[in-house]
Amino acid sequence: MSDVPIKNPGWAGNTGEFDLTEEQVRGEDFIGERPLHGGHSSVSATMPYMLIERNPEAELFEGEYQERFKKILTRYPKKRAALLPVLSMVQELRGHVSPESMDRVAELLDLSPAYVRGVATFYTMYNKRPVGRHLVQVCTNISCNLCGADEVLAAFLESTGTELGETSGDGDFTVIEAECLAACGFPTCVQINSRYFENVTPADVPEILEHLRVQAKEDG
Amino acid sequence: MAYPYVSNAEVRVISQYFGDPTHRRIDTYVKRGGYKALEKALALEPDAVTEEVKASGLRGRGGAGFPTGIKWSFMPKKPTRPHYLLCNADESEPGTFKDRELMRWDPHQLIEGCLIGAYAIRAQHVYIYCRGEFFEVNQILAKAVEDAYMKGYVGEDILGTGTTIDITVHQGAGAYICGEETGLMSSLEGDRGEPRVKPPFPAAVGVFGMPSTINNVETLAVVPHIILNGGEWYRQWGTEKSPGTKLFCVSGHVRKPGNYELPLGFPLIDLIDDVCGGIRDGNQLKAVIPGGSSVPLINAEDARKCELDYEGCVEVGTMLGCASVIVMDHKADLVKQIRRMVDFYAHESCGQCTPCREGSAWTARILRRIEEGQGTEEDLDTLMEMTEQMVGTTICVLSDSVAAPVQSSISKFREDYLELIRSGEQAGAA
Repeated sequence: MSDVPIKNPGWAGNTGEFDLTEEQVRGEDFIGERPLHGGHSSVSATMPYMLIERNPEAELFEGEYQERFKKILTRYPKKRAALLPVLSMVQELRGHVSPESMDRVAELLDLSPAYVRGVATFYTMYNKRPVGRHLVQVCTNISCNLCGADEVLAAFLESTGTELGETSGDGDFTVIEAECLAACGFPTCVQINSRYFENVTPADVPEILEHLRVQAKEDG
Repeated sequence: MAYPYVSNAEVRVISQYFGDPTHRRIDTYVKRGGYKALEKALALEPDAVTEEVKASGLRGRGGAGFPTGIKWSFMPKKPTRPHYLLCNADESEPGTFKDRELMRWDPHQLIEGCLIGAYAIRAQHVYIYCRGEFFEVNQILAKAVEDAYMKGYVGEDILGTGTTIDITVHQGAGAYICGEETGLMSSLEGDRGEPRVKPPFPAAVGVFGMPSTINNVETLAVVPHIILNGGEWYRQWGTEKSPGTKLFCVSGHVRKPGNYELPLGFPLIDLIDDVCGGIRDGNQLKAVIPGGSSVPLINAEDARKCELDYEGCVEVGTMLGCASVIVMDHKADLVKQIRRMVDFYAHESCGQCTPCREGSAWTARILRRIEEGQGTEEDLDTLMEMTEQMVGTTICVLSDSVAAPVQSSISKFREDYLELIRSGEQAGAA
């Protein structure tokens, strides 16, 4: 994680009554050294959802991913049930789920390509085309909207210089609208890759973007 | 430790350790009496566990409010096929944010509840279907489940009793409809999350074609407390028909939004004015949605009369749902918010049933037209007529959820719509 401090610890950002560190709130101290993208005995995929660095050409289901795939299959009585976790792994590795990846998954799980496509397109978390290093999802549903989510969305679009759903020229940001992220008490909630930013106001946006840029540089 | 905004009115049964990061650790949880309820349950017959939950009067916290003990008793008593317990952690009803807190602050409470529930319905496998966006929560849950496996609370021969229960944390991939119980089952099987026609009910033909029970996170989190302290104990709070405590997620225009655990039957106006510190900026209360975006909204007058339990909400023409209280002040742009909600449902409709697929998109288009000043008064009649045909005509209740905010807002806040329509007409004439 980046050392760049950020004033917005999520969860209780604006209350001023908050005496926990961000690490404690997010449970990072509890999860510990657990590999971000590692198999877990009880979790189907532990999908980081989006790694900053991804490779659209990465080989699917080799090495560690092969191990995880095998582990996933043991958790369900039917092979087909592994479809969602497996698609998640594809996205983790490649950043999006291309038609070609879907065909590969179909082959692996003995399903028809059309079936896999039908399922993959049903779920919003699978990116059907490449997105920026940081996928910014601003919740604009009712609770956030009542507290100014539209302005937060506008601020993200302006600061990144992008149109809704388009990726910035440098490949850093894609900004989209999200449906309720279940953090309604802490509006506006913004999910960036796998992390929630809560209590976000338009004024916070430049700071958050800077935080992400520094983080990307450190990780990359 | 400060969980932001704690109120003296609260009765913290399941939210006691919110804000305490040490409580995720299994050692701390056990030291504080954790897994004692599991021990107690495993020493009983499964049916005795179900009876205790029945005695508590606990009702499902996911929205429908069906009595949990009775739901469990529908499961076959002599299993000839595998049984499954599904924990619905796909929290995605706009306004609801309780399950995330329950899972990330007290994961073992949920795991213990899942184990007891599974034992009661004779299931050997629990799937916790957690929404995919909850990355942190998934990690915390996963670690907690692993810790519980290591200590022998989950897996084969639990605590030397010969009972075997496995737990898998399964991640969704972003679809509201997977929070509907049969949609969740479809999704868990690797299919599109399309709801199924009932009957057959899940207790007969559920996930993977086997008898299954689905419970909400909050429901299962309460179970250890009921087993440990007895069903009667739980009835000291709440009302005769809605016993116990409930997490209320308050969002919108209040000074102190957040999760508050209160006895059922708590007056809505006290929740807003006292517990949550009143309306922000000294504004006036305009409307409240007491149970998440799928229930009818009520005006300030009804809000003052409303008692927050399953029956009290029905009396003022709405529903408790999952107790997600969305508060709007007099400056709120009501029509825009209704349109935003309908947009959401139009996006999340799975598309199986025509009234829902076509109706939600059409409703959204009309509402947008009104919002932009292009509407007519006839549009309101069309909306009423159309949404009427969307109730009870589909496989699941997503369609009904579109109708609820539209119909209730038109009947209670018609003036808001008319104002937009009139100002549009004037602008057109000029």
